[in-house]
Amino acid sequence: MKGSFWLAWRQQRVSAGIGAAALVVAVAFAAYYRSGMLDALHSGLFDHCATGPLYCTRSDTGLPLLLDVEPLKYLGALNIALPVVIGVFWGAPLLGRDRELGTHRMVLAQGVSPGQWFISRFALAAAITTILSGLAAGVFAWWWRPAADRSYGLFWYDNAALSGSGPRVVAAALFGLAAGTLLGLLARRVLAAMALTLLVTGVLTLLLEWTHWARLLVPPRTYVSAGSIPKPPMGEKWSAGDYGLITATGRHDDVLNCPYPSGTQLKECMAAHGYVARFYEANPAGDYWTFQWIDTAVLGGLAALLTVATVLLLRRRV
Amino acid sequence: MTGPDASVALCARGLGFHYRRRGGRALQDCEFTVPGGRITALVGRNGAGKSTLLHLAGGLLRPGSGQLRVLGAVPGTSEARARVALLTQDKPLYPRFTVADTLLMGEKLNSSWDRTSAERIVREGDIPFHARIGELSPGRRTRVALALALGKRPELLLLDEPLADLDPVARGEIMAGLMAEAAERGINIVLSSHVLPELEEICDWVLVLQDGRIKLSEDVEALRQSHAVLVGAADQAGTLAGQHTVVQSRTSGRQLTSLIRQHGPLRGDWHVERPRLEDVLIGYLQPGEPGHCAPAERTEAVA
Repeated sequence: MKGSFWLAWRQQRVSAGIGAAALVVAVAFAAYYRSGMLDALHSGLFDHCATGPLYCTRSDTGLPLLLDVEPLKYLGALNIALPVVIGVFWGAPLLGRDRELGTHRMVLAQGVSPGQWFISRFALAAAITTILSGLAAGVFAWWWRPAADRSYGLFWYDNAALSGSGPRVVAAALFGLAAGTLLGLLARRVLAAMALTLLVTGVLTLLLEWTHWARLLVPPRTYVSAGSIPKPPMGEKWSAGDYGLITATGRHDDVLNCPYPSGTQLKECMAAHGYVARFYEANPAGDYWTFQWIDTAVLGGLAALLTVATVLLLRRRV
Repeated sequence: MTGPDASVALCARGLGFHYRRRGGRALQDCEFTVPGGRITALVGRNGAGKSTLLHLAGGLLRPGSGQLRVLGAVPGTSEARARVALLTQDKPLYPRFTVADTLLMGEKLNSSWDRTSAERIVREGDIPFHARIGELSPGRRTRVALALALGKRPELLLLDEPLADLDPVARGEIMAGLMAEAAERGINIVLSSHVLPELEEICDWVLVLQDGRIKLSEDVEALRQSHAVLVGAADQAGTLAGQHTVVQSRTSGRQLTSLIRQHGPLRGDWHVERPRLEDVLIGYLQPGEPGHCAPAERTEAVA
């Protein structure tokens, strides 16, 4: 078994090196831009800003005041793309390269069983993937924290933060690896395996983004307020874009039936139409972790399922 | 190790196998026993099932039916893996590994490893250790693959067309080296080859496969002794029927040339020759149904 791990490391050390180098670059970028961000925060420019969702403006010119979070979003995008990158460049060739060259026959004719051949390389790849993706998610969290959930920073529900941080990044990377590994075993050519992996991991990544957007797995809550007084600010909640008026029977109606700000005009209009309250639907900030754990369970479960399928197919394919 | 079959190199009982994709049976009802200490030639035409049989013996495939034992062990078990080496026809190696890396891999992957002989085989081929496998000529690659197979000190060495891409000089050298190893360490070797004349010099057992079935599994010397090439008048063909097994016969004009497996004394007026192994093997590899007792009716047109 030690020998198979030696071979696995000998074959994966280049990929591991590239991954580590990419991470070091990411850390360097994070350190540079984060310190710039902290300087901006300490300059006192943002002291008058509320944390709410509205833009913070400069007191003198009235222009919007924002932290430079673009580079942070790039890191988030990279984390979101991680399952695709790892699946295509690490998972697909993991067994696929040997299958294409026929070298698994040479390895298996040496003192290695098919089980050892698979476990050694998959375990090594999974360990490195976990470490690299965990660190990438950690770097994002460290960089994001000072700017988190501020009007001039990055809210928790921004794609980059919601899908590019936390445990789901690790689960997604492992899913990419498992999908690539299975497709590498099934396809006879590495290139075909890579293309299939790109398709599968890409589609699933987009599908999960869509479930976030549609609030499919984490339904929003309904917040109700009387129409007479200004409603409490939405704060860090992620609006579902659905808001309006409620009748006494509980029917939800379009806000355009009474398109007025809080005040007498609105009150009169509401009374005339029989509305008793206003509502909006949104996910509270605490739902960040609900999204995270649901994604982690879905991706981790799929990764486990694909790994089991690979093990079962190993006997027939190798 | 000390089971009843321990001295048997290869033993098959009702062995069958078919590929799911290709359909059809690659091997069926194979029954044979290759005793220990032999150098066995596995002979058959293309597609006869030679590679399939070697892959089964090497544990890369699992039998569809029946059973196969290598040195008394089930192929693919850790006991068999430690004692059997297989060199497949395509001789796959990692193209980006250097020769030194490849030998180091052999050392890491096997419980026992004979570095000296592995390095000697490579050195005899004048192959630089720092060269990448992908840059080597096919012949040199074969040599490295062979070093990898021999380095694990197998008790049974399975070679699938090992010499196909070697030049005649290298072929002689490698064969001589193999024979020396085999004699020194008592390795069992099973090799498939199409180069029949070479087999006569090195092999003492033959396995003949035809269309997935075993036609012969016999000692070479016994095979040569029991067969005869007869040349005589064509009208005597009837004297052979019944008593002897006619493997192959050919009439040209009024003259009959016949390869027979002799059972008892010959009747009739025949010129008798002891066949070479090659002649016997070709006789058995010819299409048709040799082995039947009726004289074959294939007639060569007289030019």
